[in-house]
Order: sequence, then C-alpha cells, then structure tokens
Amino acid sequence: MTGASLRPRARGALPAVAALVVLFGGALAGAAWRSVQPESLVRDSAPRLDAWRTLLHDAAFWESLRFTIQYTVLATAISAALALALAAALRRAGRGATLLAAAPLPAPHLVVATVAVIWLAPGGLADRMLGVVALDVIGDSAGIGIVLVYVYKEVPFLTLLVLAAWTPGVSEREEAAAVLGAGSLARLRHVVWPSVRAALTIGSLVVAAFLLGALEVPLVVGPSTPTALSQYALEATRTVEAAGQATAAAALLVGAGLATLLALALGRLVGRADA
Amino acid sequence: MRERRHARRLLIAMLAIAAVLPVLTLLVRALADVWRAPAVLPQELGLRGVRYVLSDGAGVVEAVVNGALIALLATAGALALGWPAARALAAAPRRVRHVLVLAIAMPLLVPQYAIGAGLAEWFIRLGVTDTVLAVALAHLIYTLPYVVVVLAGAFSRELIELEEAAATVGAGPLQRLALVSLPASRTALATAAMMALIVSWSQYGTTLAIGGETTTLAVMLVPFAQSDPQIAATLAILFLAPTLIALAAVARTLRT
Repeated sequence: MTGASLRPRARGALPAVAALVVLFGGALAGAAWRSVQPESLVRDSAPRLDAWRTLLHDAAFWESLRFTIQYTVLATAISAALALALAAALRRAGRGATLLAAAPLPAPHLVVATVAVIWLAPGGLADRMLGVVALDVIGDSAGIGIVLVYVYKEVPFLTLLVLAAWTPGVSEREEAAAVLGAGSLARLRHVVWPSVRAALTIGSLVVAAFLLGALEVPLVVGPSTPTALSQYALEATRTVEAAGQATAAAALLVGAGLATLLALALGRLVGRADA
Repeated sequence: MRERRHARRLLIAMLAIAAVLPVLTLLVRALADVWRAPAVLPQELGLRGVRYVLSDGAGVVEAVVNGALIALLATAGALALGWPAARALAAAPRRVRHVLVLAIAMPLLVPQYAIGAGLAEWFIRLGVTDTVLAVALAHLIYTLPYVVVVLAGAFSRELIELEEAAATVGAGPLQRLALVSLPASRTALATAAMMALIVSWSQYGTTLAIGGETTTLAVMLVPFAQSDPQIAATLAILFLAPTLIALAAVARTLRT
C-alpha cells in the first residue's frame, strides 16, 4: 500500500453528510409536508395552504414572532457587549478567572431557568432578600426573565470566542498604540475591535439563531402571552383539531426560515474571516 | 496598581458567585421541605424531593436511563460517522472545508422543536416514534456536527504522516487505527465524546416532539419548574450532575 492511498478523501465525509441530509432534510420536508397536509396522519390529500392562511391571519402568531425577535435581539446584544467587557477584564485576571467565567457553559439552559425561578419569581429569594423591591421578571410580558437567563448562559460562550481572537499580537499592538498616546477607548475602537469583531459577530449570530428557536427557557420563565414562536407551535399541536399540527408546522418553518437567513449571513462572514 | 488588584479580586469574587450560587441554590432548595416566603432561610429541611425522585410512580429512574441510553447511542453514532468525516474535512481544501462545515453545522441553527416535529411526521408513519432509538437518531443531528468539528482539529498533517509511516512498515488498517490514530487523537476523541454526551443529555425540544412516552429528565423537569421548586431543584441537580462530570473528565484528559 502506498502512502498516497492513505490520504483522507472527501468521500470519507459522505456517510456523515448523508445522515444529516436524510435526518435534517427529512425533518424540514416532514414539517413542510405537515404544514400543507392538515390531516396527513389520517389520510394524504392534495396539498392545501389553509394552515399558512390561518397562521398569517393569526394576531397571536405575529405577536409571538415580534416577542421572539425582541428577546433574541436584546439578549444577544447585551451578551455581546458584556462578553467584550468581560474579555477585556479577564485578560489581566489570569487563567483561574477565565475558568470561573466559563463555568456556566456546560449547565443546561433548563437548569439555569430553574434557578432563575427560585431566585426571581414573585416571592422568590431575591424578593425576600431585597424586601420592598418587588421583582416581577418571571412570566413578565417584556420577557426580561428570558433575557436574563440567556445572558447568563451566552456571555461565557461569547467571552471565550473574544478571548481566542484577542491574541498576544493584538495586545502588542495595543501597547504600541498606548505608547503613541492612544487612550483606552481609542485602543478599543481602533486596535481591539477590528481584531475581535469577526469572532464576536459570528458567535452572536450563532447565539441569535439558537435563541430564535429554543423552547425550554420561554416555557419555564416566559409569559403565557405573548409566547415564544416555538411555544406558539407547541400550543397549536395541543389543540384537538388536526389543523393545529399543520399550523404548528408552518410556524416552525417560519422560525427555521429566520434561522436559515442567519446561517447564510454566518456563511458569508465565516467565508470572509477565512479568506 | 493597588486599585487594579482590588478590581481583579472583585471580578474573581463576582465570577465565583455566578459560578457557585446556582449549584448552591439548587442544593439548598432540593433539601428544603418547608421554605415559605418571606423567610430567607428554609424553615424545615428534609428529603421530600429525593423520596419523589426514587419513588416507583415518578418514572425518574426510567427517565435517567432513557436519557443515558439516548446520549450513548447518539454519541456512538456521531463518533462512527464523524471520524471519517473529520479526516476528510481536515485534508480538504479550504473552500471545500468551509462549505462542508457550514452544511454539517446548519442543523444546529434551526429550531430544535421544528426538527423534532418534522421528524415525527416520518417516524409516526414508520411506526418507530416513541422509542429510545428514534430519539437517539434525532439527537444525531446535533451530536454529529460537534464531533466532526472537534475531531477535525485533531487530524493534522503530522498524524497523517505518522499513519503513512506505520503503513510503510507493514501495519494494516486496524493496527494503524489502534496503534497510531486512536492514541494520537485521544484528547480530541474524549472531548468530542463528552460534548456529544452533554448535547444529547441536555436536549429538550426534539425529545419532546418525538419521545412521547419515552421521556427524559429535561422533559420531566419543565412542568415542575414553576409548580414545585423542591422537586424541580432535585431533578435539576440530577440533570446537571452528568454535565459537570463530563466536563471534569475532559479537563482531566486535557491535563494528561
């Protein structure tokens, strides 16, 4: 056997790509089929767009979409800003501090949401300790509880991405700029930001795509109205009518469409960063 | 200088609180049989949550076993498919690699409940929904991308050259795998496996859509989170423990 024949060929990726195409493609096709076949599990019939019409005329759907985008944008923006600040502070704080900052990473979102309810629900621990200040962020219609849980979970992830991009070379350029008289804000804007921007933007897009579709945190700490998009779909599946399943599938496809748009933006950014 | 030291101490204290407080909260809440507002400390400690978890009717043990089996299957499948994919990815030209990574990672960006609901459409028709295998197959969508990306980092040009050297001295494919490839990528393999286990274990949306009676801890925990904080906290500790153990195992592998 020659050495050249050992070189990994692109076909090695085929089984993995095929598995994902079948499972992921099948999932999207299944949702699309369900959305145009309200009675698909009973009998197949000619595709109908009733579920899509129902969805587009349902004020609760639009409210869910607005609410989901609102907390996604808010939580992502706050997490990105805090990650940048935390990364700046951690650079001088040592490896132990970075490990501490990364500690929430493996904790499932659901566990963090459970802790948030214990602390932040009316009559929760924060309420009891602060006394007169009534906290109302669990089940609040502004989605503050959802944002808080996501910020706690996503800041460590984004911070690590920023720190990975904040290389010793960047620090050296920072020092050079400082010697030349640049203040801390000017250094951040002209030296650090151009170096970490790609990592932070890509990470933020990944976070935003995840938040758009996640279900468990809004279920535990979110309000009963408006609901998150996935929650809207879940509730539609729980109606007695078969059409509810089709409406749910249509709503989920809207979420998948939004995530795909973010993925395309991500693809462009990764391509540019890789070039 | 002194100010900077104070700021560093303050930062570390805040990070330590953020890291430890949630775990401490869950432990105390799980052991508080009576903790009515406005009391800041529990009025009565007890094991009601633990008794519930261990009781026959609750199905918690079954949910833990289901979750563990699903995670193991989804991880084994991801490693089997991910290993050759990662090798191919590491050797591919930059542009091909870029497209492949995006294609493989795409499912991570789409709502999990959407994937679960779409797959349920086919699984119901095939009569395989509501089984450990069906949920594990669905979880493969999330475990595979992590495994491929982590393993791709381990397949360097040096490793391929080592394999080639082993081949020239007569080592067969299995010997090369056992004596060269696996030992050389041990750390990456452990990291990939642990990440896949955590990802599958933490899954909620897809499991909810496909699992039916095949429930896991994540699905079981949600209804309790607002209705019974003591049982929720006990379940949350059970839910969190394997992820911390997996992290510690990865940290240990990285050190050795």
